[in-house]
Amino acid sequence: MGKGFGQPKVVPTRNATQFMRAFGKCYAKAKGDKRQVEQFLQANLAKLDEHLLDALSYIFPKLLADQKFGDKQNVATLFLVFGNTVGDFPLGDRALNLELSIAAYQVALKVYPRDMFPQEWALLQNNLGNAYVDRIRGDRAESLEQAIAAYELSLQVYTRDTFPEEWAMSQNNLGNVYSNRIRGDRAENLEQAITACELSLQVRTRDTSPEEWAMSQNNLGNAYSNRIRGDRAENLDQAIMAYELSLQIYTSDTFPEEWARSQNNLSDAYCNRIRGDRAENIERAIVASELSLQIYTRDTLPEYWARSQNNLGNAYQARIRGDKAENLEKAIAAYDLSLQVYTRAAFPEDWARSQTNLSAAYGNRIRGERAENLEQALAAYELSLQVHTREAFPEAWARAENNLGTAYSNRIRGDRAQNLEQAITAYELSLQVCTRNAFPESWARSKHNLASAYCDRILGEQSDNLRTAVDLYQEAAQVFTQEAFPLSWAENQGCLAEALINQASLTDNSDDLDTAITLLKEALEVAVPGSPGFIDSQYRLGNALSRRFELNQNANDLQDALKAYKTALDAISPEHYDREKIWQALPTTQSVLGSRLVREGQWQEGLQLLLNSVRLLSEGDDQLAHANALYQTGRAHETLSDWDNARLYYRDALRLYEHLNDQPGIAQSRHGLGSVLASQGYFKKGMAELQQARDLYQQLDRQNRVREVDNLYQAAQRAEQQLSEVPA
Amino acid sequence: MTAADDIFDQSTSNVQGLGLCEIPFTESPPDLESETLQYIFTGREAELRRVFNLFQSRERRRVLVYGRIGIGKSAFLREVLSVLRRKRPQMPTAYISLPADLDLATTALIAVAREMADDEWAQRQLYQMGIPTAKILKERSAEAGGNLVISGKVTEKDLPITKPLYPTVSLDTLLERAQEKYPQGVVIAIDDLDKRNPSAVRQMMHDAQGMLKGRAWFILTGHPMGITGDLLTSERGLFDLQLKLEELDQPTTYKMLINYLNSARINKGSTDPDDPRSVLPFTPEAAKHFCEVSLGKPRLFNRLGNTVLDTAANMQATLIDSEVLAQGLKAAAPELRERAALSVQEERVRAFLEQRGPISDETITYEDLEQLGLRSFSEILPFLERLEAADLAHQLDQDDSKAFAPIALPPALE
Ligand SMILES: Nc1ncnc2c1ncn2[C@@H]1O[C@H](COP(=O)(O)OP(=O)(O)OP(=O)(O)O)[C@@H](O)[C@H]1O
Ligand SMILES: [Mg+2]
Repeated sequence: MGKGFGQPKVVPTRNATQFMRAFGKCYAKAKGDKRQVEQFLQANLAKLDEHLLDALSYIFPKLLADQKFGDKQNVATLFLVFGNTVGDFPLGDRALNLELSIAAYQVALKVYPRDMFPQEWALLQNNLGNAYVDRIRGDRAESLEQAIAAYELSLQVYTRDTFPEEWAMSQNNLGNVYSNRIRGDRAENLEQAITACELSLQVRTRDTSPEEWAMSQNNLGNAYSNRIRGDRAENLDQAIMAYELSLQIYTSDTFPEEWARSQNNLSDAYCNRIRGDRAENIERAIVASELSLQIYTRDTLPEYWARSQNNLGNAYQARIRGDKAENLEKAIAAYDLSLQVYTRAAFPEDWARSQTNLSAAYGNRIRGERAENLEQALAAYELSLQVHTREAFPEAWARAENNLGTAYSNRIRGDRAQNLEQAITAYELSLQVCTRNAFPESWARSKHNLASAYCDRILGEQSDNLRTAVDLYQEAAQVFTQEAFPLSWAENQGCLAEALINQASLTDNSDDLDTAITLLKEALEVAVPGSPGFIDSQYRLGNALSRRFELNQNANDLQDALKAYKTALDAISPEHYDREKIWQALPTTQSVLGSRLVREGQWQEGLQLLLNSVRLLSEGDDQLAHANALYQTGRAHETLSDWDNARLYYRDALRLYEHLNDQPGIAQSRHGLGSVLASQGYFKKGMAELQQARDLYQQLDRQNRVREVDNLYQAAQRAEQQLSEVPA
Repeated sequence: MTAADDIFDQSTSNVQGLGLCEIPFTESPPDLESETLQYIFTGREAELRRVFNLFQSRERRRVLVYGRIGIGKSAFLREVLSVLRRKRPQMPTAYISLPADLDLATTALIAVAREMADDEWAQRQLYQMGIPTAKILKERSAEAGGNLVISGKVTEKDLPITKPLYPTVSLDTLLERAQEKYPQGVVIAIDDLDKRNPSAVRQMMHDAQGMLKGRAWFILTGHPMGITGDLLTSERGLFDLQLKLEELDQPTTYKMLINYLNSARINKGSTDPDDPRSVLPFTPEAAKHFCEVSLGKPRLFNRLGNTVLDTAANMQATLIDSEVLAQGLKAAAPELRERAALSVQEERVRAFLEQRGPISDETITYEDLEQLGLRSFSEILPFLERLEAADLAHQLDQDDSKAFAPIALPPALE
């Protein structure tokens, strides 16, 4: 038989008893000076260990027996104080500290029965609730339930009439925990949170208890900023208003920390704000984060400092003004800083969140090698998923799965078809938690992303994939309405339009094109000119219109398509070149638009576009598109009577067409080359090219072309004869 | 005396052994202020005549000087300006190399303002652009005794230039003020148009149409491919004279060699090409051969001259005969390559050219291009031009194709 098997566990308590005795002495001596007590803990850091935790619930009788600390209630108070101190203690193992704090409160609660010590009991419940909110070990959803239970118990004693202040405090705390609750209906939880905060504000007024009033305002702001019901734009503005109210009391001089916290929250709300000018809102977010960082330093308030760095990172990531590449570098730097404090062991949740944000920034990063950045993003998501498990942090887990999906969709390394399947799986996982009712926004986002993955999907039937994508986009559109989520709405419209355009090219169905054009025009009405979304929409509109032109030959469509392309190109700056879709679209757009413009007399701009497209296509895989662009560039130069360059590009086009064995291409480049050579006075050479072009056109049965070449040929012939008749 | 001092003296005496006080060859032309240009500038009579003919008119004119890299555009431009300075002291001339990121009007504004040292408004314009040269300008203009010609480059990297809000209007105002003072007009010479990317220049020229047709004389330079090639056809009528500088012929090159050597000779001697002593320390035979190898290209001529004299001095030769010349030219090939500091792709193209001999857009094949990792001749063109600029390749005179050949170094001796 193994030793100790089946026997009650014997816990050694000597060290723990000694420790608590020493703590008690120190507490008595400190006479309420919190700093001295903290210093004691700091000096005895090594003693805050698992043994202490195991022993805590057994040593009460021993301390009582000492008779040094007074009666039962006095000893219980010692546990209460210990619980408070260790729970807030910034050093050591935070997870363990919180367990110690919870254990200490539970000991004290046994000594303070509710009927005899209602007030103490209620206070302990409240504090226990606080510790559960912060708890790291154990099941998080469960801990939050415990916290709610504890607060609600405390509210049974703290009634509004008898203990208005305490009642307000617990309401405030309850509001806070409902904001974060995992179980239950999330929308409902947030309503509860708002109610609780608002209740606490009935007692806490600005005049009577300004500080508490400000705190509840801050929590109310938090609840509004996550609220699901009601009008989202309105909710966010409510949140901003609440934070700003709290900042009327919290000034950087009087309550630096609280001031900094509200600034930080304000930053977050401005980042998400719907009303007002978005670029401006983000600038405000940046300012607010930076203000909070004036107070939070890494040394004094590492945790808050880290959170502000994280928010600053978010704001930079979303920033519209300034250089995009630079902003993303700043975001990455801020997340990296926050991760110096948010270690996995001490702040698993925050660590995971910053990892998630960091990966998003890597996913969008412009500098550095893109393939490498995306691997970094994937790695960071996988890390965050180790903490954000489905059970403990369903929402964060779902968000990380969603982002993982995005990283896989963009991934450059690995097999593309497989990566897209991975993405689809990840999005579908995230949708298992993000239901439409609980997390409408995340639900819509994942639906949208899933749709995009289906659009790109390589496996499966293309028409099926597109149909699925269209359905999914339409689902997302139910939440992404123009009023509540203007940006996402526009993006979703654009993608839906794109899917419809692709569908139309499979079916030649002009209804889909009509719908796409309508969607894009709607999106453009509200898009910020020059923003990536604006560029995407213009470009897509150009595509849709030129497709429709190909179907119905309506000159207006072509005119409008050119206008849309032109607007898109004008707005593209090199920093957008890495945006994959635009990058692919760019060269072809440029050569189509460029050659049109040259023919219409806007040759400067046209030529520039053509040369750009040639440069971009020379790096790509589409050789035929490259040859076409070279040919168009030759033509443009010919139009400009720049014979040398025309010849050069025609010859380049010819060589490539010949390599590709593209007969119409060969014919047209020889045609152009012959015409240029003849214009330059090289009649013999020119006529030889024209002859070959003519034969090819004949074979291809392009009679118009044959006639054109014949005319040119004859003109060259006449010119040559005249020349030879002139005496030298 | 240290060992280093000894070495220095040795070097000096080696050059002196060749009868020269210094090696006269340089990459770029001498500054406008120096008199050297006067002694070395050779040939281009026909081109000078065409420019100066224009200056006999009251009408302000626009001249474009174009030609390949290193053909002598800057030297020609400076020669024109220094003649004008002597012959038309009442007509201030401003020389400026086109700075990065500036439009033509601002560039011209800077050039003219720098010259109008005693015009307060002009100086304020400069000051606002962060070019506080007024004081220096004043001193200089005092030194120059009323001659207001100032030259200089503003291309220094860190110069913080804040462009005027309405450069064309500012320039116009400035020219109006200049007009009162200098009724014969102002000459604005803008060099190195091609040092900017072609599309920028194209746009710039287009935007500057109005300004160019205004109150000043303009002389611009650039090289033909890409920019001026386009300008010639696109901005038709913008220039009153488009002057192409070509390679110098052999007799002129020979004369140029005489002029360079004479400008540095310790005891001035004969400059008569028929006198064999005029090319000393070269023997006439070696001199002739040297000129052939330089292909009539002034920069190549200067670069090779530099290496040949250097080699001869190191050999402590006192005479450069065919033997010594061969040594010098042998040293030139690696030196040109080293100086060029080619990128990997440029080196690839160079090696290809050397191995293949002349290539052109007409004869090159898809397989050739593939070997270079490219698909079109237009993509190699910039590399070839870079090689041309480094004197590692040269363009052949063929009108129906673009053809480049390697520069043959060291040459086979006759
Ligand atoms: N006609 C000439 N007589 C004597 N030396 C000349 C002549 N032309 C050019 N050079 C010399 O040749 C060298 C190269 O000339 P320059 O710098 O003027 O060429 P460039 O055409 O302006 O070159 P880039 O295209 O690089 O601007 C300089 O040292 C210059 O002094
Ligand atoms: Mg020059």
